[in-house]
Amino acid sequence: MPHEVHSVLFYSKKDIFKNRKIFIFITLAIIFATANIIFVNGLMDGMVSYDVDNTVESSIGHLNIYPKEDERFIDGLGIKEQRLKEMKEVDAYSPRLSVSGVLSNKELSFPVVILGLDPDKEGRVTRLLEKLDSGTAINSNDNAILVSSRLAEDLKLSAGDEATLAFETGNTREYKVKGIVRTGNLDFDSTTIIMPLNEANRQLGIDNKASVILIKLQDKEAADAYKPLLMQELEVSNVKTWKEEIEFLLRFSEAWRSFARVISAVGLIAAAVSVGIIIYINVIHKTRQIGIMKALGAKDSFVFKIFIMEAALFGVIGVSIGDVLGYLAIKYTEAYPFYDAVMQAWISARFDYYLLYNATLVSFAVTILSGVYPAIKASRVDIIKAIWGE
Amino acid sequence: MKIIETKELKKIYRLGKIEVNALNGVDVSVESGEFVAIMGPSGSGKSTFLNMVGMLDTPTSGEIHINGYDVTKISSSMRAEYRLKHIGFVFQFFNLFMELTALENVMFPMMLSNHPFYEERAEELLDMVGLKARINHLPSELSGGEQQRVTIARALANKPKLLLTDEPTANLDTKTTKEIMELFLRLNKEQRQTIIMVTHNPELGAMADRIIHFRDGVVVEE
Repeated sequence: MPHEVHSVLFYSKKDIFKNRKIFIFITLAIIFATANIIFVNGLMDGMVSYDVDNTVESSIGHLNIYPKEDERFIDGLGIKEQRLKEMKEVDAYSPRLSVSGVLSNKELSFPVVILGLDPDKEGRVTRLLEKLDSGTAINSNDNAILVSSRLAEDLKLSAGDEATLAFETGNTREYKVKGIVRTGNLDFDSTTIIMPLNEANRQLGIDNKASVILIKLQDKEAADAYKPLLMQELEVSNVKTWKEEIEFLLRFSEAWRSFARVISAVGLIAAAVSVGIIIYINVIHKTRQIGIMKALGAKDSFVFKIFIMEAALFGVIGVSIGDVLGYLAIKYTEAYPFYDAVMQAWISARFDYYLLYNATLVSFAVTILSGVYPAIKASRVDIIKAIWGE
Repeated sequence: MKIIETKELKKIYRLGKIEVNALNGVDVSVESGEFVAIMGPSGSGKSTFLNMVGMLDTPTSGEIHINGYDVTKISSSMRAEYRLKHIGFVFQFFNLFMELTALENVMFPMMLSNHPFYEERAEELLDMVGLKARINHLPSELSGGEQQRVTIARALANKPKLLLTDEPTANLDTKTTKEIMELFLRLNKEQRQTIIMVTHNPELGAMADRIIHFRDGVVVEE
């Protein structure tokens, strides 16, 4: 058997390197198909990861306590905060108040989501207040607001400007815009203003209440296990883990990943069809030589293996170079991210070894498969017809 | 000792609804070490006979005994194995592998049969046919006569019991034809190589030990 492999390899190598132009064409098709799989999926991973990380970093805690069903606020905030302080698995927490209002600058007005939060507590749970585009962050006792970036653009507001905020209670007040926040989350960046929790409570005439309490655990992955304990300790019924919070996002991301797989598959099929056609044409052109080979004593299985080996050699060379090219393309975007105008964020592809494993396996398998039909065709060549053209 | 014996060998080709009797009951025997020429007009069945004896094709009926063994009933895989080890072919149109050098062409059948010293033997064979200086040349760089000598060296690679040649000099000039025939005769005399040669040329046929004449798919004269 090893000698047969040696003979198959010997002839296959000679055959594929005989015509350099065809060799280069086939190899390039496989290289780009493989690199395309790695890069497109890596890019999609980068975008999805950015979105997920950004959401987790700026909008949610590892565990998030919401009001009971049909209730607007969580009551007894002080007691709950006290208990949270005593729980050793809880690293930090941040209560948030979320209400609606209208922000105006001169003649321009937009409905907004007013997010009241304690800057000190929030800073220990999320990085929301670090995402300043311009200006400075707010303090607990400031009478100032942060405006999200797209909203600021729509209202023609800059850091240092004054804007009028109307609360749902009917209170209206002038606030200094201390900074502009850009999270990269389209919805957040288009509708949100941030203000100190104390000031929000005061204007809304409420106390000891929150719309949500974000909790940061010492171990993010322990969220599922810790959720029931938290519900019991705090006597709350509506708690979501960070995974549950981003479930929709993950499903949406999966749809994008499927789209990326379709793009990759189209490229790969195009390459596989090219490889298959060229090997098939090679078989047709070599019919006479295949006949001679069989006349000399080569079995059908030997001829079959030759053309499978040719496909495998194209695969080994093309997939290897494609892997390197795909890897370098991802590393390039990691070093030089590009600006996504829709997300208003710098995006890069993200490398993971699974991309290499998948691309290598799929490209190689498809390349081999593309050689199967020509190989079967070759193995069934009739010696008499091949040699004498009868 | 008989190396080949055919009994009532028939081959019928079907061309649409028409049946063509290429061989119509051929009884031939060839002794080991013989040089036999097969002659006859086009369509007389001589090449079909060679294909049957060379196990490239299967008869419609009848028997082919090679070394006393009926080979008509063996599988295609075993036929390939038998061809590899016991039969050498020299075709009219040289039929070398164009992407392989002369040396590699001769090595190839020995690589298939797992010959331990295929490269050394290939060099010896090319030396024997007078091509030692051309071993690394591709077929496209060789003359017709040189290509046919490579084909002969390749045919002898696995020391076949039987060398079958079909119009081996049809595309060669007179001088080269003479050289090739001298090579066949030398192989036959010095190495007792059994050779069956199909030819149209009576002069070449006359060089063989025996001539078998075919006409309309039967042997008409021996």
